[in-house]
Formats: sequence, C-alpha cells, structure tokens
Amino acid sequence: MSDRRLPRLLQSPAVVLLLVWMLIPLGMTLYFSFIRYVLNNLRRPEWTTPSLSNWRGLGNYEFVWGNKDFLLAIQNSLLIVCSILFLTVILGILIAVLINKAFAGRGIVRVLLISPFFVMPAVNAVLWINMILDPVLGLQGLAVAGINELIDGLRTMPLLGGFFNLWPELTPISFRATQTSAYAVIIMVTWQWTPFAVLIFMTSLQSEDQQQKEAAILDGAGAWNQFRFLTLPHLARPIAIVVMIQAIFHLSLYAEIEIVSRGNGNKNLPYLIGEFANNNIGAASATGIYAVILANIVAIFLLRMIGKTLME
Amino acid sequence: MAIVAQSSKTGRVSRATLAWIIALLFFFPIFWMVLTSFKTDADAVKPEFLIWFTPTLENYVNMTENYDYWRFATNSVITSVFATLFALAVGIPCAYAMAFNPSRSTKDVLMWMLSTKMLPAAAVLYPMTFLTKSLGLFDTHFIIIVVLMLINLPIVVWMLFTYFKEIPKEIIEAGQMDGVSTWGEIREILIPLAWGGIASTALLCFIFCWNEAYWTVRLTTTDAATLSKLIEGNRAPEGLFFGRLSAVSAAAVGPIVVLGWFCQKQLVQGLTFGAVK
Repeated sequence: MSDRRLPRLLQSPAVVLLLVWMLIPLGMTLYFSFIRYVLNNLRRPEWTTPSLSNWRGLGNYEFVWGNKDFLLAIQNSLLIVCSILFLTVILGILIAVLINKAFAGRGIVRVLLISPFFVMPAVNAVLWINMILDPVLGLQGLAVAGINELIDGLRTMPLLGGFFNLWPELTPISFRATQTSAYAVIIMVTWQWTPFAVLIFMTSLQSEDQQQKEAAILDGAGAWNQFRFLTLPHLARPIAIVVMIQAIFHLSLYAEIEIVSRGNGNKNLPYLIGEFANNNIGAASATGIYAVILANIVAIFLLRMIGKTLME
Repeated sequence: MAIVAQSSKTGRVSRATLAWIIALLFFFPIFWMVLTSFKTDADAVKPEFLIWFTPTLENYVNMTENYDYWRFATNSVITSVFATLFALAVGIPCAYAMAFNPSRSTKDVLMWMLSTKMLPAAAVLYPMTFLTKSLGLFDTHFIIIVVLMLINLPIVVWMLFTYFKEIPKEIIEAGQMDGVSTWGEIREILIPLAWGGIASTALLCFIFCWNEAYWTVRLTTTDAATLSKLIEGNRAPEGLFFGRLSAVSAAAVGPIVVLGWFCQKQLVQGLTFGAVK
C-alpha cells in the first residue's frame, strides 16, 4: 500500500507551492478590494492600515468603474490585444503556408523568422521605439528625411520638376503621443509574436492530410480552393489556440507599455493597476479583480480546449 | 504537362524569394541592433554612417563602465538557473507521479495548474510587494528565484508530463518488481530515459525566466535587478546613446536567441500545452 501512496505524495510539493502562490496573494487582493486602504492620507490616517473596520463593500469597484482612466485602459487593452491578434493570425497563416513547402535555405529562413520571439520584451520596446520608430533619429525619421531630400532634388529637374512640386513634404510620425504609442506597442508585439503564430501553424500544417490534398488537385481544385476548403479548416483549432494564448499573454502586457508610453495616457489594465498601487491600494486591488475576470473569460475556453486533448 | 512543370518552377522560385524577403524583414531589427552596437554613439545617429561606418568594439568594451552590465547579467544567470533547477526538482517528482500513478484527479490537477498561469500578474502586484517588503525579501535573489520558479512551474510540470507519458509503463514497473525504491526509480530509470525531454524543458524554462519582465522589474531595485530591469531603466536614451544601448541590448538577448534556435519544437509543445502537435 505504502509504495502506491508515496508516488502520489510526490505531487504535493508542486501542488502546495502553487496553491500558496495562488491563494495568498489573490486572497489579499480580494480582501483589499473590499476595504478602504491607501498608503498616504494625512486626514484619514486610519485608512493607511488594512483593517476590516475600513470596510467599503463594493465601493472600490464602483470607484474604479466610474474612473475615466479605467474605461480608457479597458478600451486600450482591447484595441491592443485585438489588433495584435488580427495581425499575427493573418500574417502567421500567410507565412506558414508560404514556407510549408521545401525550398532552398528553408532551415535558415525558419531560424531568422523565429528569432524575434526570443528577444526580451524590454529590449524589444527599447529597440523599436528608439532606433526604428523615433521620428528624428530612428530609421523612420532618417527614411522620411531621405525621401524628402530626394523629392527636393527632383523638383529642380527640367521637365518633371513641376510634377514633383505637387508632392507634399512628408512628416514623420511621432510614436510617443497618446494614440500613436498604442500603435507602436501593436507594431512591436506583432513583430515579436508573429513568429509564434507561424511556428504553431507550421507545426500543424505538417500533419495536414496529403492524400486528401492530392485528390483535390486531381479533381481540379485550384490553389485558393485547396486553401479555403482544406487548409483553413485544418487550421481552425491551432488558430483558436493561438488566439487564446496570445489574448492571455497580451492582456497582461507590461514592459512594452511602461517603456513606450510612460505617463502619456496610453494605459492598459496592468499599467493602471501599477498607477493605482502607488497610493490607492483598494482601487488597485479592485482593478486587479476586474483583470482576473477578463482573463478568466478567455482562459475558460482555452482550458476546455486543452483538456479535451489532455489524456489522448 | 511541361507547361505546368515550368510554371510551377517559376512559382517555386518566387515563393522562395518571397519567403527569404519576409524572413530577412523579420530579422532586420535584430540585425540593426547588432549593427548599431558596432557604431560609436555619435556615428549611430548620423545618416551618412547608416551602413558604411568604421566598426568599433568600444561599446562592448565599455559595457561594464556604462551600464554595469555584468552585475545585471550575473543576476539574470543566477535567478534563471536556480529558478529552472528548483522548478525541475519540484516538477520531475510531480510529473512522475502524474504520468505513472495517475488518479482520477490527475487531469483536474493539471488543468488547475495551468489556470494559475493564466492569472494576470498585475492583479497581485500590491500583495506581492507588501509581502516581500514585510518579509525583508524585496530586491533579493531569493524572491526573484521563487517567483520565477512558480510562474514557470505549471509549464515545466506540463511538458515533463507529456514527455514521461511516452515512456512505456512496463519499464518503470519492472523497476518496481526488482525492489527499487521510488527515488531510485526516478534517478536510475526515469531521468536517464527522459533526459532529452528534461533538457528541453529546462532550456525553455530558462528562456522564459531570462525574458521575464514584470516581477523582475517590480520586485527589484538594485541588488537582484536583472537585465530586463537594466534595459527598462534605460528606456529613453534620446538618441545620445544608441550605440552603447544597442551593445548592451545585443549582449542581453544574443545568448537567448541562439538558445531559442535549438528549442523551436519544444516551444510549440511548451506554449500550447500539448494542444498542437
């Protein structure tokens, strides 16, 4: 008997650790979200220590819900997550189908393509916002300046000059403004996560039924119809998984937002929690619970899908 | 038939060309970072030195002086290595039990473990800061190791479980017949058999630890600060330090990108929890 119980016991360290990791901080967040708790308040010093006598019920949740930054953060979170999902899935499918067939140097192409995924998020953000997207010193700024100079030169041409005179002077886009910094985040995260989508779709395409495909070719199905009626249905499941995994990751996007748009109004939920946590812990906790709920909506679907394949 | 073959040949060539162009475009930012790292700070922002410039190693030589790179890199190595080792130490027995002595609850336990991974970290930001500060663990290697281990433990258990499941049960049971202890089974039979799977799990866990950028930024200031924190702290060089910032960034991501090339396959399994094969 004991030799069957011992192996089961071996699970317990991992289970206990994860249980503690999940329950204690989350329990505290839940508790703080129902009380008044601020780090600094000279008029009401009793609020600076967490205690049940400062019970606020759903007050923090109402306060956060009514806060205009909260709506903004939700909107921004959704804009960022949805844009990234859309772009990575489309690009991922196109690239995966493109490199699915053998060609010269496919191994190297794969290695080049996957590389962005391993770049640490902080480096990704610093690299893009400074060296590539900066309107003056980045490649964007240099490219725009170069094109303007070129057009300027062409204006002096004898005949075509008049045509080039009609061209407007290009102005570089600043990616540090409130709205455009969200685009910068979308660009850099799409760059980083498209390789992930490609990798997953490519893995899945390897298991596509080749006989079915050959039969379709014999029946005279064109490339588009093959893609539309065979490949795309085959990819349905991997697409769903890529969407859900990315949704969970990107809802808690932090380093990129922090680096690109610190203090310029472009916030997402994790960033807003960080801001609240500088003083108003009750509000930070309530926002945290909202974030948990949002992530759970996605997670439930994902877990169901994974659970189905688990014991196969 | 000849026409079909010919057109498909030009099709093949143009496909290959397009694939190469896309791959090079995706790699370009990394290439650009590495290229810039060989320019002086002054040259890095001058259009005339965009591609033709006198390469210099100055930025790499001065990395210690400019950024104290090695201190942060050492912290990254220490925290990532120990977090990975501890995750394996806890994860291997757990996955062993789940794969070879499954109970009715095994599936639920696995799913529950995954669900902990889906909690947004920011939700527990303040409690974690509060706890680590009041326990005197803020900005210590210990807390970073513990947190990195815990956030990666579900993936580690999950990946090991899928590898262990491939091993025929009979081999393990034969060991039991011979009277080998449970610990002996793990050490003498399981680990040698699943060595490849354990190694790729460790590699992937190490990469995730190295790149982690929430807790390593929020729970450290100086002593235990990792490379993520270093880069985050130098986020806005305003063009003055493109050269040196590129060098330190390239040094921070270079080893990991190379490691990543070796575990593409495992990445799919590790990140989709075995749901895409």
